[in-house]
Amino acid sequence: MKKLVCSTIVALGALATALPAMAQELTFWSWRQEDKAQYEKFIDVFEAKNPGITVKFETFEATNYNTILSTALAGGSGPDLMFTRTYGGMETVASGGYLLALDKTNVPALSTFTAPALASETMRSNKTTYAVPFASQTMLVIYNKDIFDKNGLSEPQSWDDFIKASEKLKAAGVMPFANGTATAWQNEVVVGGLVSSIMGRSFYDDLMAGKADFTDKRYVGALTKLKEITKYFPDGFIGLDYASAQQLFSSGMAGMFVGGSYELANFKKQNPNMKMGIFAAPGLKAEDEKLVALYFDGGYAANAKTKNKEAAVKFLNFLASQEFGQMFANDLNNISAVPGVTFKEPLLGEVADLNKHSIPYLMLVHFRYGEPSGSVLLQSEIQKLLGGKATPEEVGKNLTTGLAAWYAPFKK
Amino acid sequence: MPGSPLVSRRLWISALIVPPLAFVALFVVYPIISAFAYAFFHWNGLARGEFVGFANFYKVLFTQPYADWTVNAFLHNVWVFFALMVLQNGLGFLLAYCLWRELPGAAFHRISVFLPVVLSTIIVGFLWKLFLHPLFGVVNISFRGLGLGGLAQPWLGQDSTALWSLIIANAWHMVGFPTLVFLAGMQRIPGEILDAVRMETESEWTKITKIVWPLVAPSATVVFTLLFVGSFNWFEIPYVMVGLEGSPHGATDVLGLYFYRTAFGNMSGSGQDFGAGSALAVLIFVFIALVAGIITFKLRAREIQI
Amino acid sequence: MNVASQSYYDRRGILAALGKDGLIQLILILNTAVMLAPILIMLFAAFKTNAQIFQSPFGIPDFSNVANITKIWNETNFLRYLMNSVIVTGSSIVVILTLGTMAAYAVARYKFWGASFVLMFFLAGLTLPLKLAIIPLFILMRDLGILNTQLSLIVIYVAMGLPTTVFIMTGFIRTLPNELEDAARMDGASEPRIMWSIMLPLVRPAMVIAGIQNVVPIWNDFFFPLIFIQKDKLKTLPQGLTTFMGEYTTDWGVLFAGLLLSSAPVIIVYIILSRQFINGMTAGAVK
Repeated sequence: MKKLVCSTIVALGALATALPAMAQELTFWSWRQEDKAQYEKFIDVFEAKNPGITVKFETFEATNYNTILSTALAGGSGPDLMFTRTYGGMETVASGGYLLALDKTNVPALSTFTAPALASETMRSNKTTYAVPFASQTMLVIYNKDIFDKNGLSEPQSWDDFIKASEKLKAAGVMPFANGTATAWQNEVVVGGLVSSIMGRSFYDDLMAGKADFTDKRYVGALTKLKEITKYFPDGFIGLDYASAQQLFSSGMAGMFVGGSYELANFKKQNPNMKMGIFAAPGLKAEDEKLVALYFDGGYAANAKTKNKEAAVKFLNFLASQEFGQMFANDLNNISAVPGVTFKEPLLGEVADLNKHSIPYLMLVHFRYGEPSGSVLLQSEIQKLLGGKATPEEVGKNLTTGLAAWYAPFKK
Repeated sequence: MPGSPLVSRRLWISALIVPPLAFVALFVVYPIISAFAYAFFHWNGLARGEFVGFANFYKVLFTQPYADWTVNAFLHNVWVFFALMVLQNGLGFLLAYCLWRELPGAAFHRISVFLPVVLSTIIVGFLWKLFLHPLFGVVNISFRGLGLGGLAQPWLGQDSTALWSLIIANAWHMVGFPTLVFLAGMQRIPGEILDAVRMETESEWTKITKIVWPLVAPSATVVFTLLFVGSFNWFEIPYVMVGLEGSPHGATDVLGLYFYRTAFGNMSGSGQDFGAGSALAVLIFVFIALVAGIITFKLRAREIQI
Repeated sequence: MNVASQSYYDRRGILAALGKDGLIQLILILNTAVMLAPILIMLFAAFKTNAQIFQSPFGIPDFSNVANITKIWNETNFLRYLMNSVIVTGSSIVVILTLGTMAAYAVARYKFWGASFVLMFFLAGLTLPLKLAIIPLFILMRDLGILNTQLSLIVIYVAMGLPTTVFIMTGFIRTLPNELEDAARMDGASEPRIMWSIMLPLVRPAMVIAGIQNVVPIWNDFFFPLIFIQKDKLKTLPQGLTTFMGEYTTDWGVLFAGLLLSSAPVIIVYIILSRQFINGMTAGAVK
């Protein structure tokens, strides 16, 4: 009886375990469960051209993807090909030496990619690129065209315009913004999407050159304006979570949503009839350059220890090709990192245009290489700012002193 | 049966105890000992690096920002423990005392007070998160409906109310447990003792302090210890209701969330650190074992005195 | 003492009006309302549209409107999660009771060197929070190659459940009389035979208590699947719940329906077997 029970349990366990992948095919790991069908289509295109190679696409949960991947790679059971995160998230995986180094010799098309795109998949210590970047994301303002038209509003050119438009919506009984900040990472989003133009390109350049830190008055001034405009966020927005905020916008209850370009596909799915527009939040004056915040959010890498290196590199070259970039943009409605891709969907084309005037999405791109990460600090400091527990000056000071723990230019 | 009876008896006893012992050794004792060992190593992701002595402990206790995070989370756990002591165990004792009277309907009240206890913490967390939603939650809708719109708050978004909201959700979930443990203790008090007391005094208060409380003290010891261990392990309710970061700005951060973030990383951090995570686990563990030991010892001693 | 009786007499006012029992009844009724209201609101909301939930959260809905329920049923992996929970919980309980009874039987019925050590060994696991050993457990599961399988959960739940089970079962088996056993031994029955045919049937009530003590925390556990299980098709109900709560954020009726369906199995079994549940879950704490 006991034996039977035990063997039943073992059998159940064995059934539950996924069957190991067959040796002649390449496994390809991803965190994009929702894109599985499209990727399988891309893979079909590749397989038709490369008989003898098959690619198996497997997906895992996004939040724990890095943990799963590192575990598998460290245990020698990793995939041949995989999605990688960017910046600090890529380095934690690459620093173990698990990823195949990429350069002009094995993936020639890489030399055509933009420098910021390549930087997202390049380890800072040895300047080696480990992955083919796949997409960029842009922090901007999305608005409901019908609501804007009905209230006679157009895309704001100056900060005053922006406030006036918000005021008008509020007076008309429409929530100007749908955003809430109870979900920590949304605090970083509103900074990138609302006040990049106010902090400005010169602040970014000085910050990178080590000539400025976050106590700089351009940055503090930007935070002051951020605090000011949250007056037009929903009542109790500090207790409003991300999902609810999306819901307010997609159900047409709010005029604007500050968020990433990834929201566009989301909102389209939730409410196919809604007409959306996008703009870069303005600077203080109409003539100030309007900036969006840009980052790259993933790449494709190969396992350094793959048994089918030739086939894996062949597939990476396919992923870096114009042909793939175009399919990626068409089918996944994302801004492909491959240069020269055109966009069928007009809104995506607009995003690509806005990207011509951008600064990096600061904390994610430059400050996730140590603990405390700039993102963690910023999210918590902005929650303090918006909850009335800190002034913009204090936020700037806390960011700088917090990052000084590991960011050399801030060490005094 | 082959062999001498003595040998076969020994074999039989071994066959009975070795499998369960091996199981506990492999999946309880070994991991806990390893947790201690891991804290003394540097970790590269999931690969163990060199021996670093107390460096990980030093890191989480004395270097910034870890030191502040550790203290912040720890103090919240302490706060949660004392708040639940009153809201959950205190109320539990009162309810048990009321149920003990066996008034009409007591059976129904007993079933309903214990009902939330059987629900998953995840369900309880989601339920209260929806109730406390700033715009559409039933709590704020009710206040507005009663014309008390001023009382409507972003409960989970402001530091003055967020932790309390989690504590109340937890108390709602678990109050039935101490209630029924205390009730079982009260029901075991012999009738003669109660009759004797009734002859002497009218006062409920005297009855509670002199008779009921001392006699349910053994149950109280267990309930207090469990609450202590639970409070310092607190994870699911805050995870579901405010997220891994202990929003807003760490106002609801507790050791469980902090340990998880440190060990496994979160979307906005710089990655996972098994070394610092293990050090935290060991510290929490030693703290729990020490205090739980003291509670049990002290309360036991008092039980005997009484 | 003086202060105490003072405060007692202060409350005379309410007591005089209601009577002591009246006050007690009032407390109980209020408490029951607080305990049941959230569950009723959830039940009602599962049959409402968004507008109805936001406008009249306490209103009684049209219970024939099962659109939200069918949505959960048809469009999510609810059934799969439910099955997984049944498989994991069921297997764990069977193994826990088997191993737990074996150890308890040996300790309780035989005198042997080290018996008290064995019991201490199990009891030591009683209050140890195994969550804190998650890092070594994670690595152990990886080394055993059972990460991302249901076996990893079963194994951990058995480890968690064994200490209390051994504790409860040992206490119970010790109270069983010796006569039957001795008589069987005289008849020349083997030890396994005595255990299987004579003693085990007597142990059933304790098994029920130990089973219930374990079944609720295992069924409800969220932490270990969160770390061990990544594949959607292997997720248990509490973990799956977080997945579809993430997907239907715009539709509160569906959210409440999801919560209702996830809690319904436990609530129904609890209402039928409330006495056993209460005894089982408080066993170990009641002294």
